[in-house]
Amino acid sequence: MAKPTKYPLWNALASMQLTIALLALLMVLVFLCTLAQVDLGTFGAVAVYMRSFVVWWHVPGTAYSIPVLPGGVTVGMVLTLNLVAQYLRIPFNWNNFGLWLVHLGLILFVVGEFVSGAFQVDSQMAIEEGQTVNFVEGKDPELAVVDVTDPTQDEVYGIGQSTLAREGTVELPGTPVSIKVHQFVRNADLANRRPGDPPSPATRGVGTAVTVRPLPPVSRDDDVNRTTAFVEPIAGGRSYGVWLVSTVLGAPQSFTHEGRTYVLSMRPRRQYLPYSITLKKFSHDVYAGTDIPKNFSSLVRLYNPSRGEDRDVLIYMNQPLRYDGKAFYQASFGKNDTLSVLQVVENPGWLLPYVSCILVTAGLVYHFGTRLRRSLRRRDAAQAAAQHPAAQEA
Amino acid sequence: MKIAKIAPWVAGGLALVGVGVSAFQPDRLRGFDVGGFSRLPILEGGRVKPVDTLARNSLLMIRGQQSFRYQDRTVGADEWLLDVLFRPQVADAQPIFVINDPDVLGLIGLRQTADRYFSFRQLAPHIGEIQRQAQAAHPIDAKERSRFQSAIVNLFDRVYLYHRLKNSVQLEGEALASEVAGAQERGAAERHLALLEMAQFRPLPPLAGARPDAWRSTGEALRSSAAGGTVDPGLASLARVGWAYSFQEPAEFNQAVVELTALTARTNPAAREQADHEMLFNRAQPFYMGMVIYILALLTIFASWLWKPEILRPAAFGLLIAGATVQTGGLVSRILLQGRPPVTNLYSSAVFVGWAAVILSIVLERMYRRGFGTAVGAAAGFASLLVAHHLAGDGDTMEMMRAVLDSNFWLATHVVAITIGYSGTFLAGAIAISYVLRRQFAPRLDPASTKTLVSMTYGIVAFSLLFSFVGTVLGGIWADQSWGRFWGWDPKENGALLIVLWNAIILHARFGGFAKERGFMAMAIFGNVITSLSWFGVNMLGVGLHSYGFMDKAFWALAVFIGVQFLLMGLCLLPRQFWKPRAARAVEGEEVPAKA
Repeated sequence: MAKPTKYPLWNALASMQLTIALLALLMVLVFLCTLAQVDLGTFGAVAVYMRSFVVWWHVPGTAYSIPVLPGGVTVGMVLTLNLVAQYLRIPFNWNNFGLWLVHLGLILFVVGEFVSGAFQVDSQMAIEEGQTVNFVEGKDPELAVVDVTDPTQDEVYGIGQSTLAREGTVELPGTPVSIKVHQFVRNADLANRRPGDPPSPATRGVGTAVTVRPLPPVSRDDDVNRTTAFVEPIAGGRSYGVWLVSTVLGAPQSFTHEGRTYVLSMRPRRQYLPYSITLKKFSHDVYAGTDIPKNFSSLVRLYNPSRGEDRDVLIYMNQPLRYDGKAFYQASFGKNDTLSVLQVVENPGWLLPYVSCILVTAGLVYHFGTRLRRSLRRRDAAQAAAQHPAAQEA
Repeated sequence: MKIAKIAPWVAGGLALVGVGVSAFQPDRLRGFDVGGFSRLPILEGGRVKPVDTLARNSLLMIRGQQSFRYQDRTVGADEWLLDVLFRPQVADAQPIFVINDPDVLGLIGLRQTADRYFSFRQLAPHIGEIQRQAQAAHPIDAKERSRFQSAIVNLFDRVYLYHRLKNSVQLEGEALASEVAGAQERGAAERHLALLEMAQFRPLPPLAGARPDAWRSTGEALRSSAAGGTVDPGLASLARVGWAYSFQEPAEFNQAVVELTALTARTNPAAREQADHEMLFNRAQPFYMGMVIYILALLTIFASWLWKPEILRPAAFGLLIAGATVQTGGLVSRILLQGRPPVTNLYSSAVFVGWAAVILSIVLERMYRRGFGTAVGAAAGFASLLVAHHLAGDGDTMEMMRAVLDSNFWLATHVVAITIGYSGTFLAGAIAISYVLRRQFAPRLDPASTKTLVSMTYGIVAFSLLFSFVGTVLGGIWADQSWGRFWGWDPKENGALLIVLWNAIILHARFGGFAKERGFMAMAIFGNVITSLSWFGVNMLGVGLHSYGFMDKAFWALAVFIGVQFLLMGLCLLPRQFWKPRAARAVEGEEVPAKA
């Protein structure tokens, strides 16, 4: 190990005690995060322990929470600094070449994870057989206001949930319409209005007959928030009433202003693509005489007029379609095997873990290989030395 | 000197001969070619297997054993299945249902006695109640069921399996021969449909020109011939097998078995070969025999510390090699039979962890030649095969892979690397345990041996770090290839990460000089805790993509294992004045001149 410098903070940051302490902290966090998944679900547990600066513990019976552990982000950042500091102190020679490669690989790995964390976008594409889709849907909801006047082309205006949560007024660019958000509820239970219920804030549409009860938002992977809002479209100084929109309401609700019809709906956030995908056939095979799935696959048609592409692609387990910076994976299915759900991931850093894995593996093999050879040589020399005098005695 | 040279060959050779002899079992039973019948290929659980495998796995699921004593003789799985299929009145009287839960026994009005096994006839009056209770418990998530609920669901599943087996080839009380002859027209269509729905397996090979997995149940074949299709060529022979067995006519039975054998050999030679191979595998019981040889090796090495080490130590090594040979044979057989890399489920991971630990130990023994490698290898091999043996009770250990796991490339790289990582971490822990036990119990302690143990442990920890890291990252890459995320904090991934982190901590602590000999060895033992949690513990959570082997029974075994590891760590960290006096003196004798 290299000599300590005269800067105490730098020495502390580059010390191996710190490495060990941080690795141990990380183990504790990973362990707790794993246990917590039983109650919180993977997403929730990761949010509490891994994607946080500090882990809080809620003191039972009080309103207080006290910090108990540094969170995954803190540990990860300090560990990265420690890794870089140590890496800079590894003298570069053949003896340390293996260690040097290992730690370089680890730095790349951390960089890759930060890139994924910052830039990865997960979405989904659900297609029924014969249907053509040119958008992907995210997990978060948005309020979509769609101008459907032109039968050949829809104009879509999306308002994200963070904007809705501010409960202000949002102007739709390029239209006379603005949307006033009266109330936004992350998760709610909707029920038919009964006689004793308080009056609904909605004055138009199906919302007038519905009672909304707010619920705490959920984070478990298989639970979905039923996001709901009361909104009031205003155009040309005129109100079109207060409408209830929710991700669980299926029926379209629309209003017309100066001959243009706008449809209001709360739906998963959409990102439109410059190409389209048509599901030609979804296949779900099982092993003979069982219901163990053997294979899921989607035969799709990829159509991109701007690039002149029009071709068939088969997407199946372990074989995604990588196209235009996005990867489409076979994720799920439904509607009696006629609906295919593709997981769509955009991650500019997807290649970094591959490079890192190769570097670390090569470094470890080199390092332990040279160590093993040296120790074997030393043992042979010791054995030869032990046998030599014995031979003389005999 | 000469005896020492041939000792390993003699010991190993004898062990292998023993395996060969035990694999040879007579086919005939009271004149019936039971072996010939058991070799017939069938389709069950999505794959072709011999009748023998179905018989063994079914009996294992129902009774927990592959044979049982009844009326002062041992009834094998094959004979039992023949009775279930064709003489249900005999099978119904045999005590095959094991019931341990006192509440379940109480429910069916039986007292808990020394004998825990009950016949179908004893259960029959209570089937309705068992079914009612099981159906009430069924909607509850498996993790949240009470002990009684788990036990009743389990009993019902076994009774149902038994019922399906009885009605797979022919409906109980309706001989297949009379169905084939069309003797009873009335209700034939309903009976054929019931047969089709109840069939647990499909005994009739695909017709010429059909898909290779288009095996047919008797119900299906009867329906298609009733609908005017071709009469299945195997149906008549199968009917004669059943008729001859139920009337106990050996000559007729053997003749019909020969016909069926010839039919599958002609139409499906590949299935025939597969079934023959698997039959040999079943009879040789390589993993059970390996377990026996490993325990012999372990006893021999223990004896060598007390008596004639120059002969017994090489003999123990010979036995270890023999055990490894048998286990390797079994592993290769499984790989060929399944057409898959060695690790496909929890059971095979246990077999493979043990195998890799044994091979590593053999390498260590060749390098250091002090007997530690043999001792640790034999103990690891025995322990892992014992674990595997207890994991095998859930049925076919060569079940088909779910679509998401169906990738031989990733199974061969990610899964194998991770499993070797488990193996290495356990082996390092095992060497550290032998270090602790030796310090407490050995009559004398030479510093050179201690040094050997420490350097062996160091080497194995380094090896484990390499494999667990590579395996973990390859898992991430597989995940990225399959569903677009490199790391999802899935419990099994976290478990693998914990192993990597812990091995890295051990090496850094050793490298930085923070852990000396005792601390280093105690850390290696803690590696056992981490690995067992990551291997089995996370499966008990029942969360995530890797929860392929949910297990509740093993919880206490795991808790005891971890408790013992903590005890050993405490023992390892004890200061010198608590060691066995001579051992402490020996170490001091070494260190005092070094300080001077």
